[in-house]
Amino acid sequence: MTLFSDTRYIFVRYMRKLIRTPILLFFSLFQPLLFLLLFTQLLTKLGNIPNVLPAGVSYLQFATAGILMQNAFGSALQSGNSIVADIDTGFLAKMLVTPVSRAAILLGRLSSDAFRVVVQTAIILGLAYVLGAHVTTGVIGILLIFFTLAFFGLAWSGISLALGMKTRSSETVFAIGGVITFPLLFLSPALFPISFLPTWVSDVSMFNPVSYAVNASRALMINGYEWGTILPAWGVIGLVAIVTLSATLYQFRKVVS
Amino acid sequence: MPGIIDVKDLVLVYSDGTKAVDDISFDVQEGEFFGFLGPNGAGKSTTIKVLTTLLRKTSGKATVAGFDVDKDAAAIRKIIGVQSQETTVDGDLTGRENIELQGHFHQMKTSEIKPRVKELIELVGLESAADRRGRNYSGGMKKRLDLATALVHKPKLLFLDEPTTGLDPQSRATIWSYLEKLNKEDGITIFLTTQYLEEADKLCKRLSIIDFGKIVASGSPTELKHQIGADSIRISLEDCKKFGPKAKEIIMSIAGVNEIVESEECFTVYAKNAGLLIADIVRALDKSDIRLLSVTFSSPSLDDVFMKHTGRRIRAEDLVKAPSAMIGRFGRR
Repeated sequence: MTLFSDTRYIFVRYMRKLIRTPILLFFSLFQPLLFLLLFTQLLTKLGNIPNVLPAGVSYLQFATAGILMQNAFGSALQSGNSIVADIDTGFLAKMLVTPVSRAAILLGRLSSDAFRVVVQTAIILGLAYVLGAHVTTGVIGILLIFFTLAFFGLAWSGISLALGMKTRSSETVFAIGGVITFPLLFLSPALFPISFLPTWVSDVSMFNPVSYAVNASRALMINGYEWGTILPAWGVIGLVAIVTLSATLYQFRKVVS
Repeated sequence: MPGIIDVKDLVLVYSDGTKAVDDISFDVQEGEFFGFLGPNGAGKSTTIKVLTTLLRKTSGKATVAGFDVDKDAAAIRKIIGVQSQETTVDGDLTGRENIELQGHFHQMKTSEIKPRVKELIELVGLESAADRRGRNYSGGMKKRLDLATALVHKPKLLFLDEPTTGLDPQSRATIWSYLEKLNKEDGITIFLTTQYLEEADKLCKRLSIIDFGKIVASGSPTELKHQIGADSIRISLEDCKKFGPKAKEIIMSIAGVNEIVESEECFTVYAKNAGLLIADIVRALDKSDIRLLSVTFSSPSLDDVFMKHTGRRIRAEDLVKAPSAMIGRFGRR
C-alpha cells in the first residue's frame, strides 16, 4: 500500500535528519533535563512539609511526570519548524510534484514526532530512575506513559504544524509556542501539587488539558492503574488532537492545492 | 497538432492581486527542447508551477501529455521530472539517499532504484561525493544532484526552472552538456526557463520570450534573430558628449546604415551586413579627428530581440560578462 510505504519513507527521512543533527536533539532535551537534574533539587524540601506531596513520594518522583510533559511540548514545537524548513527550501514542493501520497507527507511527519517523544521520554525516565524515581506500574505502565505522551505530543505537533504552515515563519512558531507552553505548565499540577497551588490556579487548571495528561502519567508513575484518571486524560488529549490536527489538515490542504 | 504541453489563454493571478501570467498561449511538441526566456519576475516560474500541478491557474486551459493540469494532476506527476529554481537537496541526506528517496516518492521498487541511482550518479559525475551529505556540496554539485533526482523515474518531460542560475561558467557548460544529451539521446522533452540569453540560444530549438507575464515573441533563436534584420555596431568615443552628435551625423551619411540608437557606451549603429561598414565608419571618423575608444560588432542576439519587443535589455542577476570585443574582434553572441 502506497500510503503506508510512503509514510515510512518520509518517517525515515525525518529520523535521519534528527539523528544527523544531534544538536537539535540536545537542545530539545536540555530544558527537561535541566529541570530534572536541577529544579527538582531546589525543591527537595517540599517533601518535608506535611500534606503537600503524597506520603513516601519524593519531589523528584512527583515532578518527573511534569517534566515529561515539558519535554513533549518542546519536541512538538520543533515539528512546525521542520515544515517551515521544507516549505522554504522547496522540499515540500519537490514532494508535491511526485505522485507521493499527500496524507503520507503529514503522517510521516507526525509519526516521527511521536517516535521522537517516546525516545526522549525513555531517556528522561531512565535518568529519573538512576536518580531514584521509578515507575510503580512497571513495563506496561511505562508503555502506557509512552502512549500518553506520544499522543499528547501529536496533539501539540498539530498546533505547531498548523502555525508553521499558516505563518511560514519558524520564529513565529517558536514565539507563539513558547508563549503558550509555560503558562499551560504553570497553570497545571505539572510541577506543583494541586493542594499547594492558590485556589484560582487550581480552578483554572480544571480547564487545562495539560492537567489531565500530567495526572494520568503521574498516576501511572506513582499510584498505579487509576483508570478513572487515565481514560479521561486520553479523552481530553483526543479532543485537543481533533481540534489541532483538523487545523493542520486545513492548512495543509491550502498549502497542497 | 496537440503537443506534450498545450497552453491556451493561461492567466494566473496571485491572491494579492499580482497578475503573474497574463493570457499566454504556447505549445511544446514531444521531443522538443523548448525555452522560456525572460528577466526575473517575468512569470516563468509561475508558468512552471501551474504546469507541474503546484499552482492552480486562474483561467485558461493547460494540458500536459493530454492531461488537464487541474483535473488529472495525479497522472501528470507520474511522467514529469521537475527541477525548481531553489536547488532542493536535503542537506542532511547523502547524494545517494536524496536520489533514492525521490525514487521512492515515485513509487519505484527498491530493486529498480539501486541500479538507476548508480547510473544517475555517473551521469552527473558525482561518484566520489555520492555518500557525502548534501550540505557539503558546492552550488554546482547541488544543481547536478537536483537534476539527478528529477530524472530518477525516467520522466518523459523535464521541467527545469533556471537550472544554471548562480553557477560559474564551467559548471554551466557541464549542465548544458547533460541537458543536450538527455534531449538528443534519451528523447526527453525539456521545458527550460532561463534569464541567460546564451543559454536559450545554445540549447533551445524553440523559445518564447516572456516579459511581465506576457509572451512577446516566439520562434527558433535563428528566426527571432532574423526578424531583427540588422547587425549592430556599438561605438564608444573618447568624448561621447562632445563628439557624439557629430559622429552620428557622419555615420548616418554612410550608405547602408539603417538606424542609430543611443546606448550605454555612446551609440549603436544598425545595418544589414554591418561588418562591411566597419572600415568605412572608422575611416570617416578618423578623417574628422574623432577618437574611437572601441567598436564592437555583433550579429543580432536574443537580447536585441528582447530589446526590440520590450524596449529594455535583459539583466540577468549575476550575468557573467562576456569579454567585450575590441576592434577587429568580431564577436558573435
